[in-house]
Amino acid sequence: MKHKIFALIVILAFMLTACGGGATGGKTVLRMWVHTNNAFIAGYEPLIAAYEAGHPNVDIQLENFDYELYLQTLQTAMPAKEEADILQLFGTWTSQYYERLAPVPAKVMTIEQAQQTFYAAPIGGYIVDGVLYGMPQEFNMEYGGVLVNKTKFEAAGLTYPPEWQSMDDVVATAIFLAQKDNAGMMSTAGFHFTAADPTAFSFLAGIKQRGGDYWNEDHTGFTFNTPEAHAQLQWMLDVVNAGVVDPVVFNDSTNFVIDAFFQGKVGIGYIGTWAIAEGQNNFPDFADEWDYFYLPPVQGDPVFVADSGWGLTVSPNSKHQDIAWDFVKFVTTVPENAAQWNIASGTIPAMPAVAESAEIASAMPWVPKALAMLPYGEYLGNMPDRDLVVYEIIYPHILNVLQGVETVDQALQAIDTEANSTFK
Amino acid sequence: MDPAGKAQRKSKGGLAIVKRRFVAGVTVPLLLYESLGIFVLGWAFVLIFFDYSSGRLGGPILGLGGSNPFIGLGNFVEMIKGTSVEANLFRVSLRNTLIFAVAILPLNLAITLPLAWLLESIGIRFKSLYRTIYFLPVLTSSVGVALIWMSMYDPQAGWINAIIRFFGGTPVSWLSDPRAGFAGVSVAMWAVILAYLWQDYGYNMVIFIAAFQGIPQELKDAALIDGASPWHVFLKITIPLIRPTMLFVCVMTMLSSFQVFDIIQVMTNGDPGNQTQVLMLDIYKNAFRYQNLGWAAAESFVLFLIVMGVTIFQMRVLRTDWEY
Repeated sequence: MKHKIFALIVILAFMLTACGGGATGGKTVLRMWVHTNNAFIAGYEPLIAAYEAGHPNVDIQLENFDYELYLQTLQTAMPAKEEADILQLFGTWTSQYYERLAPVPAKVMTIEQAQQTFYAAPIGGYIVDGVLYGMPQEFNMEYGGVLVNKTKFEAAGLTYPPEWQSMDDVVATAIFLAQKDNAGMMSTAGFHFTAADPTAFSFLAGIKQRGGDYWNEDHTGFTFNTPEAHAQLQWMLDVVNAGVVDPVVFNDSTNFVIDAFFQGKVGIGYIGTWAIAEGQNNFPDFADEWDYFYLPPVQGDPVFVADSGWGLTVSPNSKHQDIAWDFVKFVTTVPENAAQWNIASGTIPAMPAVAESAEIASAMPWVPKALAMLPYGEYLGNMPDRDLVVYEIIYPHILNVLQGVETVDQALQAIDTEANSTFK
Repeated sequence: MDPAGKAQRKSKGGLAIVKRRFVAGVTVPLLLYESLGIFVLGWAFVLIFFDYSSGRLGGPILGLGGSNPFIGLGNFVEMIKGTSVEANLFRVSLRNTLIFAVAILPLNLAITLPLAWLLESIGIRFKSLYRTIYFLPVLTSSVGVALIWMSMYDPQAGWINAIIRFFGGTPVSWLSDPRAGFAGVSVAMWAVILAYLWQDYGYNMVIFIAAFQGIPQELKDAALIDGASPWHVFLKITIPLIRPTMLFVCVMTMLSSFQVFDIIQVMTNGDPGNQTQVLMLDIYKNAFRYQNLGWAAAESFVLFLIVMGVTIFQMRVLRTDWEY
């Protein structure tokens, strides 16, 4: 009998614990999920503490997941309606998850207000079918930014800082920086642009800068097999053939830009600013002097596309959506808070007001260099599956061309067919 | 009524109750566990017929229907003659999986069978030592093995290329050069096959050693007395007698090579140019990266059919009707 009573107490205790989610010790508990990135988390923690200090009845519990695990967790938790109240999402994911996200209430922010508050590229990712589903924290700019090794420039007798007027100047510089070992294998890449994001986003930007587009008129299909796309891919192949990089030895899986640059194997490394914090954390002993610069366009204006950026959304299953949105607004739209997070995470601000601030210029001197370009940024567009299109279609085919196993025409035909097949 | 007999009967009745409780206590959780497994398999089977993504709300019943529409056998039709990236990658992955499995089995047998025979013929002291050394990679995690081989294959700092350079040869990008190949198979695929073989061969070797030890010595002695050479004893006595073990080894090796995942994911993630993309990796990417669960379930079903077919074929070919 004693055992039965004990078992009953244990079961009741579990049931009470399970039913009691949302309020402990008189406080309203909100869970917040983010992907594991130490710099990002270091940005969130003080903001959560500041919000809780201003709202003593709120307890925000931050939980983080490794990137791949985060994707899996979202996929299993959302159908089960077990996801956290506040969800960190990448802007382009919104078009895949919007059915399972709460729209931003008009009293929190309207689309018009959001478009005035944020740059077009980052906010674009959070709008699906005319509905706003979240607020961005960063301008994810994979196009145009490069890490430059000053030590290698000086060793090669090149002018530093570089004064590139055109991409021809960049290629000419990179040829001097590239080196091969005695056996003929490239040991230093002059201009490493052959990782996935740089390759894909310079391809897309090149199409735009040449006056073309990869979307059809009503954005219901892709148009990759165009003269502009052909010209851009041929240009990329010509750059490789000029000897600035060996895409067999330097690509996304072998000698990735960050690793290779901070191990002294790259002169000019094409990568987003997010790589700076990661490189400094992972390679603290790297002794070469370096800085971050922006590339000139292949022609015309520096038009480019960006796939939004990380931001915050709210679950429609949250019992405290009003508090969740208040917190999201506190983190993403209060300029001091947004700046604090961008500085901690090393990301470009999603708000022009923050990007142009003296605080950002002081902490991240590479951001002012980008200010002239940011207004040219357009949102990538709501693709059925951005990762599938970029990582399984565009990048592999372009890399095949650069590695010499596919022709430009074959690649463009394949990209066009496969990318359009993602519209079901 | 005899009080002692009554007590004995009561005791027996009590024992029966305890037995029944024990059986119920053991089988009920097992049945619940099994039913959970059956539900998961059943759910995967249902998904085969839907274009299902967990990111979409779908219909009111388990998210099926609506934005996760029923497509019947559409996934299988697409696999056979579709032009989508999923269909292309499936066919490439299937081809790579077959190459991997077909290469692994004979290579594994070619290494493990003679090695086990050699180990069985040496002294007891060294036998244990060598057996332990050869078995160590089996105990090592696949990720660790992958990292070790990746460092050896590194195009610039790896010692394989260092040796090639030392002898004046041309270094190779073992894991990233899509142009390099041997016998119609990419170098990257051979590189992962070699790493996988190194990790896996100790397992089969130990099984073969156990099989050799199970063969009665008098059978071999009789053959030797009749004038058979050791080679003939091995070929005509040992090999036929270990056919049941051979069947087990072949089936298990084929099963594991069809399901290879971790070592390839870490070493190449399917690169270069999808030349090492195998079915399990493709299933994983579709299910967990691209949320294409219906397609991933259909791919899993195809893999299940292939593995079942190959296993039945092996069992037919290597079946024995006798024991010793």
